[in-house]
Amino acid sequence: MSAITASVDYQFELLAPAAPRAKPALVPDPLPLPIGQRESVRLLRASLDAAIAAKVMNATELIRAVAKQSRDDVTPTMLEPLDALLGGGLRRGKMTEITGRRSCGRFSIAMAALASSTSIGEAAAFIDLGDHFDPQIAESCGVDLRRLLWVRPHTMKQAVMAVEMLTATGFQLVVLDAAGHPIKGRRVHDAAWVRLARSAERHGAAMLISAPYPLTGTASEAVVNTWPIRARWIGQHPRVLAATLINVSLQKHRHIRPGHEAVLSFRAAESARDDNG
Amino acid sequence: MRIACLYVPLFPLAARLRSEPDLLNEAVAIVEGNGNNAHVVAATRRARKKGIRPGLSLAQARSIVPKLIARGRDGECERTAQEALLEVAETFSPRVEDAGEGVVFADIAGMERHYENEEALAKAAIHAAVGVGLPAWCGIAASKLAARVAAELTPSPQIVEAGKESDFLAPLPLMRLSPEMEAAITLQRWGLTSVGDFARLPESEVASRLGESGRDLHYAARGIDPRPLIPRATPPEFREGMEVEWPLVALDPFLFIANAALDRLAKRLETAGFACTRLEVTLMLDPDGFHSRAIELPAPTRDVKTMLTLIRLDLEKTPPGAPVVGFAIVAHPDRPRRAQLSLFGPAALSPEKLATAIARLASILGDDRIGMATTVDGHLPDRFAIADYGPPPPPDARRKPPKSRGLLAVRVFRPPIPVEVITRTANGETQIAAIQSDGDISGEVRLSSGPWNIESRWWSESPAAREYWDAELMRGGIYRLYREEGDGGWFIDARYD
Repeated sequence: MSAITASVDYQFELLAPAAPRAKPALVPDPLPLPIGQRESVRLLRASLDAAIAAKVMNATELIRAVAKQSRDDVTPTMLEPLDALLGGGLRRGKMTEITGRRSCGRFSIAMAALASSTSIGEAAAFIDLGDHFDPQIAESCGVDLRRLLWVRPHTMKQAVMAVEMLTATGFQLVVLDAAGHPIKGRRVHDAAWVRLARSAERHGAAMLISAPYPLTGTASEAVVNTWPIRARWIGQHPRVLAATLINVSLQKHRHIRPGHEAVLSFRAAESARDDNG
Repeated sequence: MRIACLYVPLFPLAARLRSEPDLLNEAVAIVEGNGNNAHVVAATRRARKKGIRPGLSLAQARSIVPKLIARGRDGECERTAQEALLEVAETFSPRVEDAGEGVVFADIAGMERHYENEEALAKAAIHAAVGVGLPAWCGIAASKLAARVAAELTPSPQIVEAGKESDFLAPLPLMRLSPEMEAAITLQRWGLTSVGDFARLPESEVASRLGESGRDLHYAARGIDPRPLIPRATPPEFREGMEVEWPLVALDPFLFIANAALDRLAKRLETAGFACTRLEVTLMLDPDGFHSRAIELPAPTRDVKTMLTLIRLDLEKTPPGAPVVGFAIVAHPDRPRRAQLSLFGPAALSPEKLATAIARLASILGDDRIGMATTVDGHLPDRFAIADYGPPPPPDARRKPPKSRGLLAVRVFRPPIPVEVITRTANGETQIAAIQSDGDISGEVRLSSGPWNIESRWWSESPAAREYWDAELMRGGIYRLYREEGDGGWFIDARYD
């Protein structure tokens, strides 16, 4: 069977055409100016009142400003040494991981982050894998319980699922506490953390993963390792736990050189004993 | 007064096809009666083209079309289809009368402001009915009778101008007035075929020969319908369901048809501007009996996936124990939560999305595993309750968070971990020397402090008297321990973390 068609009246080129050679010039072309500094924009701004000209912004400047704002948009933990270590706090749209073993201050850092977020009116979710959350302690740490959704999953898989669902719902801060070692339930696949990181980026939520050992791999923006330095006791009869000193070390950060360390101090809350009276 | 009539032709069939839309292009007949008495009451276009007519027995119909799909009349399907039709009418008027069998009247007086003309209103009503799966026709007139007759005519919609009812009815066959059988035979014997012929007869003569029913029929022929529109009270619930052809023993087939029913339910709720806050599922069991259950939703939602998940989990937890031959799902409506978003403050959560997420998580984790934590008055630590999560709206403007209090939090162990504690006394002071447990919380104690005595509910039948201690292990970890004063058992209930 054959079909009639018009003959091909041109020749395909076997080789890509040579790149056009630059014409020799004694004076090279000037580099393109940034749009905000162009002559027309400069003249427009010069014609306006200074107060108004300072507020005039063209589209390119606006895009750059929005991009910078999203880069700089953080949820501070209001623990100054830690915020300084992380470049301002927990970055929105990114996943931050805190690791450390027993009594290393992970839970206190999570409470501080929740307190900071809920105190400014944001909605936060706490995924409590080990069922360790104490609302009284949280309230005394400054967490606004009305704005905090407390989720107690049974397994790590459920916890990851809850994090993803709540991030997509619009919570501005989602904290997953993976409890102590060993982690309750089986480990989830590494791809799950990548998926969570993408979900955080898509919805602009700050995501904090607190675990006894690193879980998130390459998916997280920053990894902070914590370990206890010492506990401070005061008095003799009676002796009272006054504070704990925690060392925090930046293990990984996409924009900050890792290796920096800082010391956090947490004062002991008056918990059970002061309830007595 | 202007009355719109929504009419669904071949209503038993339309109601069935609404529940089983896959049968739309098949040769299907709806039959009534059992065994030899089974006869066709309605058939799809494909079956009608092959000669299937209402009144044929099922055996006769099968002899014409051997592959005819026969479905019995389903009361549940028809009831829910009628409800759906009423709800469509209620979106156009608050005064709606349920005339049954796929007929609904609505008082549309005053609606002319919202539509270009009555024809546009009628077309919108037809479109809305098609949206809930019912191919309805519409007629608008000044009386219920004329509106009903207009609705039964094609092309739809038919609009009868006010005062022109008798002119509209006059050329129509007399059968359109649905006379009684005896009166119909008499009128046929008189040689009357159209409504106009009958209307021209003297009223008194008709009444003397046909009685009171003849007088009413004569009124109807002249376009006079004194019956007022009787509005129905809005039902407090939305209902969907159907009877299945054979008993279901597996969960998946049931969920398949329940999904379709929930889908229809969600559309009806959306039409009325409601969301579901409580589901009641009634299963009809084989050979007899019912199995009912109620499912509370954490927040009003219309999300079919969430509702289906809740039903599935509930059925898995407590199976009915017998094959299912039918079901009804009742949704209790509530207003969906709405919120005003802020331009300058932190973003607020979408109440609809939040409700759906919480409902889905609650169905997977359990109702008591998700919610807003609240503190409870008392003396012992770890007192809390779980409440429904409904965050207050965020402030209008962003503000800087206050400085952290820098308090040391505790990680509570639920339930407390029983341990063995070795104490020592030095200089008249008791100290904890070591802790032993089955887990990894064991070892010598570097420092400890206590006891801090707490006595709670001493006036009740279950008093608690405990002495609390803090202890720092040599190998790391600061724990909160307590000892019950009664039996002397030691427990670790929290770790400073």
